[in-house]
Amino acid sequence: MIEKRQKLISKTAAFGVASALVLTGLTGAASAATTSANKAALQNVTINVAIAYPAPPKAMLAAFTKSTGIKVNYSYIQWDDLQTKIAAAAEAHTYFADVADVDWSKVGEYYQTKWFMPLNKYFNVASLPAQYPQIASFIRDGELIGMPSDVSLLVTDVNTKDFAKAGITKMPTTFSQYQADLTALQTKGIVAHPLDIPFAAAEGLSTYWYETTAAFGGQVLSSSYKPEFSSPSSAGYKAMTWMVAAYKDGLVPKGNLSLEDYQGFSNDQAQNLTASVFSDYSGDVGTVYDVPSSSKVVGQVEYIPTPGVSGPAPNLANPDGIGIPSTAKNVNAAVEFIKWYDEAANQAAFAGAQGVSNSISGFPLPANTAGLAQLVSSGKVPGAAELANLAEHHSRAIFPAGAPPWYPAFSNAVYTNLHSAAAGQESVASAISAITSQVSSLGG
Amino acid sequence: MPTTTTPPALVAPRKAKRGGRRDGVLPYAMVAPLVVFIGALAIYPTVLTVIEAFFHSDPLTPPNHFVGFGNFSAVFANSQVRHSIESTGWYALFGVVLTVGLGIGIALLLQRPFRGRGVLLAIVILPWALPGVVEGVIWSWIYSPTFGVLNSALKSLRLIGQYQLFIGSHQIETILLISLVQVWQITPLATLLVLAAMQSIPDELYESARVDGAAWYQHITRVTLPLVRPAVAIAMAEALVMSINIFDQVYVLNAAASTGSSLMSQTYFITFQDLNFGQGYALSLFATVATILLSLLILKVVYRKVEY
Repeated sequence: MIEKRQKLISKTAAFGVASALVLTGLTGAASAATTSANKAALQNVTINVAIAYPAPPKAMLAAFTKSTGIKVNYSYIQWDDLQTKIAAAAEAHTYFADVADVDWSKVGEYYQTKWFMPLNKYFNVASLPAQYPQIASFIRDGELIGMPSDVSLLVTDVNTKDFAKAGITKMPTTFSQYQADLTALQTKGIVAHPLDIPFAAAEGLSTYWYETTAAFGGQVLSSSYKPEFSSPSSAGYKAMTWMVAAYKDGLVPKGNLSLEDYQGFSNDQAQNLTASVFSDYSGDVGTVYDVPSSSKVVGQVEYIPTPGVSGPAPNLANPDGIGIPSTAKNVNAAVEFIKWYDEAANQAAFAGAQGVSNSISGFPLPANTAGLAQLVSSGKVPGAAELANLAEHHSRAIFPAGAPPWYPAFSNAVYTNLHSAAAGQESVASAISAITSQVSSLGG
Repeated sequence: MPTTTTPPALVAPRKAKRGGRRDGVLPYAMVAPLVVFIGALAIYPTVLTVIEAFFHSDPLTPPNHFVGFGNFSAVFANSQVRHSIESTGWYALFGVVLTVGLGIGIALLLQRPFRGRGVLLAIVILPWALPGVVEGVIWSWIYSPTFGVLNSALKSLRLIGQYQLFIGSHQIETILLISLVQVWQITPLATLLVLAAMQSIPDELYESARVDGAAWYQHITRVTLPLVRPAVAIAMAEALVMSINIFDQVYVLNAAASTGSSLMSQTYFITFQDLNFGQGYALSLFATVATILLSLLILKVVYRKVEY
C-alpha cells in the first residue's frame, strides 16, 4: 500500500511539474505582458472580491498588492447569502463586486442571464483542459463563465477503525459489499447507525443523490436535460429507493432528517456516531475529521474509491469558481486577481501545502494540476495523493452538458421531495414523479 | 383738548416677521429626513412591488412583459405555495395567541413594583435584541435529536424513552416548535405595550374595585384587561404581522422542507432560487394585502377607545 502510494505520488508529482512548467510559461508570459502594459493603470485600484471562502492569508494578499498595486477589499460571504446578493444586484443592474463566486451549479444560469462576463479574451480556453481537471463545468457553448478556484469531488470515506472492529479489513469495492459492511457494523453493535446521509431539504441532499446515482451506474439528466431517473429500473430511481430505505431501516440516524451536509459531517461522522459517508466532499478528512479540537475520529477516517455496482464508481465534480460580474467596475484588476488566485503555488498554499497558517479554512484541493502536484509533494495534507488521482482520472461532471439554467429549481424539487420521502410524507414513486414533472415544466 | 386714540381692540396685533416664518418651516425641515427615508425605503419599493407583480420578470426568460394576473394564478396553482399559505395560517394562529397570552401574563407579573423587577424586565426583553437567525441556530441545538437539551430534559424526567426527532416529521408539531422560537423573540414587545398601558391605569380604579369587594382575579378581568384592550389590540396586530412574515427561524430550522415552510420562505425560493421575480412580487403583494386586512380586522374587533 505504501509503495503503491509512493508511486502514485511520484507520477502525480511528475505530471504536475510538467503542467507547472506549461502553466507558468503561459500565465507568466501573459502576466509579464500585462504587468508591463497595465501596471501603471492598475496602481491604487481597489477591487471588491466576494467569495464563499475565508480570505487568503493577509501576508499573501499584501504581496499581491505590492506586486500589482491593486488593493483587495475581500468579503467572505456564506454561500447561500452570496447567491442571493449576486441575483439581487444583477437583477437590479447594480455593482456589488469586481470578482465573485461562480459555482458549478450556476454556470448555466449565468450563461443564460449574462450576469457574468465571458473570460475568453483573458484566458487561453484551448489550453485550460490540460491544466484544470474540472474546467468543463465552467464552459458553456465555448464561453468561459468562470475560472475554477478549487477542485472539489464527491467522495466516499469510512472510519477504518470501526470497520476493523467489525472484522472488515478489505474495503468494499462494490455497492453490495458496501451495503453488507454497513449492515455488519450495525448488527455487531459497532455503530448503531453507520451511514451519514444529510436529509435536510438543502443542496447537500441533491448532490448526495447524484453521486449515489452515479454509483448505481447512471446519471440524473441526459445531455439534452431529459430525466433519466423516472423508470424504476433506472439508476436514479434505485439510488433514491436505497437512500430512503437506509433512513427508514435505521442505517442512518433519525435526527439526520433535519441535518444539512456539514452538520452531518461535524455532528455524526466527526463524533463517531456514523462510520461512513457515501458522498462526502473532498478535503473533509483534513479540514473536519482530523481537527483535534472538534473531532473524535482523528486519524481514523480515510477516503476509499466510491463503490459502484460493478466496481469503483466515478466521483462527480462540484467545483467552485470565480468570475467577473457584468457590472464590475475594474475588469483588468479583477482579471489580475483571478490569475493570482489560480497560481499553482497560491492554490497549494490555500489547501495547506505551506502549513495551516498559510491555508484557507475549508479549502478543498487546488484547481489546477500544478497546484495539486505541489500539494501532494508537500506531504502535509492527508489523502491528497488519493484525491488528486481521483480528480484527474475518475472524476466527471454531474451533468454531461453542464448545469442547466434552471438548475436551482431542479435541485429544489430534488431535495424537497427526497426529504419528504424520507420523512414518510410521500412515496419514492411520488417523489420521482414530482421531480420528473418539474423537469418537464422547466424545459427539460 | 382730549386726544382720541383708537381703542386697543381695533388695533391689529403686529405680526412677528422673522420668527413666524422660521417656525412655519422648522417642523417640516425636522421631519423631512424621516419622510425621505420612509419614502425611499418603504413607499418606493411598495409601489414598485405593486407594479411589478403584474409583469413577467424572469432573467432566464426575457423580456419582461405585462401579464395581468398571470403571476397570481401561477403562484396559487403551485401546490408548494398553497401548502405554505396553510402553514402560515398556523404560524399566525400560534404566534398571535401565544405572544399576546404570554405578553399579558408577564405584564401582569411585572405590573407592581418589587425588588429585582428592573433586572427581570431586562431579561424578558433580551430575546427581542437577538436576530431571528441567531435564535434559530440556538434553538436548533436545543431541539437537536442527537444531543439537544430538550431531549435530555425530557428523558431525565422519564417523559420519553429515547431521543426524539421534534422538527421535520409532523407538520403541526414542526410549525408549533418553530413558532415558539419566534414567540420567544416577539413577546417582549407585546409585554412592553401591555405593561405600559397597565401603568397608566389609575390606582383609584383598583381602590374602588377593592371597596366593592372584587377578588384579585376580578381586578384583572374587570379592571385591567378591559382598560388595556387598545394595547392588546396593537400587540395582536404586531404579532400577526411578525408571524405572517416569519422567515429567519423557518430558514434555519426547516431549510426548504415543505413540512414547516412559510409564505415568506416560499417567496424567497421563488424569487432568488427560481429567479421568478414577477411571481415573487405577486406573493409579496398578496402577503402585504393579507396582513393589512387581517390587522384591520383585529383592530376592528378588539380595539376599543378607553377613557379614564
